[in-house]
Amino acid sequence: MNKLTLAGIITAVVMLGATWLSVGGSKGGLNGDIVNILAVAGAVALVIITVFVVIKYVRQMQTDTASGKLADENWDGIGEYKNELPAGWAFIMLGTMIWGMWYFLVGYPVNAYSQIGEYNEDSAAHNAKFEAKYASIQGDELVAMGESVFLAECKVCHGLTADGIDGKAADLNSRIAKASVMHVIMNGANNMKTDFPGGMPMGLNYSFADEAELNKLVDYVVAGLPESDTEGAQLFEKGTCNSCHGAHGEGMAFAGPKINGFDVATVSSVLKDGKKGSIGTMPAFSRLNPKQIEAVSAYVTSLSK
Amino acid sequence: MFHWLEKHPFFFAVGVFVTIAFAGLIEIVPNFAQASQPVIGTKPYTTLQLAGRHVYIKNSCNACHSQLIRPFKAETDRYGDYSLSGEYAFDRPFLWGSKRTGPDLHRVGNYRTTDWHENHMKDPVSVVPGSIMPGYPWLFENEADVETAYAEQLTVKNVFSVPYNTPLPMKDGSKVTVVLADTLSDAQASALEEAKLVAADMKDKSVQDAVAAGKIPEIVALIAYMNSLK
Repeated sequence: MNKLTLAGIITAVVMLGATWLSVGGSKGGLNGDIVNILAVAGAVALVIITVFVVIKYVRQMQTDTASGKLADENWDGIGEYKNELPAGWAFIMLGTMIWGMWYFLVGYPVNAYSQIGEYNEDSAAHNAKFEAKYASIQGDELVAMGESVFLAECKVCHGLTADGIDGKAADLNSRIAKASVMHVIMNGANNMKTDFPGGMPMGLNYSFADEAELNKLVDYVVAGLPESDTEGAQLFEKGTCNSCHGAHGEGMAFAGPKINGFDVATVSSVLKDGKKGSIGTMPAFSRLNPKQIEAVSAYVTSLSK
Repeated sequence: MFHWLEKHPFFFAVGVFVTIAFAGLIEIVPNFAQASQPVIGTKPYTTLQLAGRHVYIKNSCNACHSQLIRPFKAETDRYGDYSLSGEYAFDRPFLWGSKRTGPDLHRVGNYRTTDWHENHMKDPVSVVPGSIMPGYPWLFENEADVETAYAEQLTVKNVFSVPYNTPLPMKDGSKVTVVLADTLSDAQASALEEAKLVAADMKDKSVQDAVAAGKIPEIVALIAYMNSLK
């Protein structure tokens, strides 16, 4: 055994020993983790291969003599041989070029990462999970979901307790405020276009004899159209309110919404189109999904019960 | 030639630079040019909206509010569709912002309305309990700078060919033309018309009086701008 091989073996042993100590001394060691095991295997392979390669080339430097045809030019006395391409090198070069073309034309375009792609996958997965989990949600759970959506989306105008924050938005603890009823009777309404395309005409106050009669009707509507109030019921008919909102204000499809209380259909209709009334403008909330709209509607309905 | 290059390192370096720069240009420029085209539904600002945008910048709204919705489910649930680069085609400069102390405002026009902004700008805590945003009462007193807005409109039309007076396709298939006034007085008149529409939805008496008297308070311009962010 000559000196070179001995030096190589000693170097390899020292390096491997250092690796052993380093891994053994670390917290948890290999920890059974595939990445840790691969990293250490790589380090061991690197030490052994390096030692072998260095031994080979040092030997070559000791014994080799230059041969072949020199190129014409030299750089500060350093020349260059015009040797044939080594076959192995040429094969690797060619292989890399072929792989490069495949990667450029097929590999990257077909498998490339895209942020929007990831977003679409995330959204689809989330929506599917949401659908599966809440497909048959109802009752108290639906109301609880509605409350959480309400607190995220609606509270900035309607307030934490849905009281409308001092008239900045509708107080949802009762169906309609007096001012709003008065406003729509005089000015009409053009809301909920999807479900009630006709809207409400203006000037319905002229159906009533005087202010007092109008006030009585408005009070009757605000009170939720109680059956005990027969005079109010008569005025409701006199103003032709019943022809669109139904005899007891229960609403009529395509004609007029329910006004004797909230229900899911009415609230969803407002969420779909937004509305503009005596208080101000409410934007549409089309970004809520159908289940969330149903939930908010159930929550709002539950508030005034 | 290669032998010559090998003996002249300076020109060799120039050659390397040109080669890499060319590769970069043909990859980056066409993609960039395509992505910065206005997407359908994007239209230039009207005089009043642009004046409002100046108010927005002047009060450093962009220091706390971004205008860039990233493509994450949590963001699109809260703010609406993720932003596309073409949507900023008429923003000079864009107001993406780098920090969100307050929420993103890129589509605030979809889910807040004039009367809400009015309450919120006067006293943010009155509608958002616990908000750390300060009130901006001076917006109700200062007048919006319509002249500068009109000057900017003229500049971007002449220098950057922003398509004023051109029918532009909208998302619903209709076409919308944003008119650029011929003279400053026309611009002021059209800004006032637009301001009247906004002020009609506001409750502040002094703002309504000012608009009726032909003045445009900053708050009106700012709300017109924010309502246009969709």
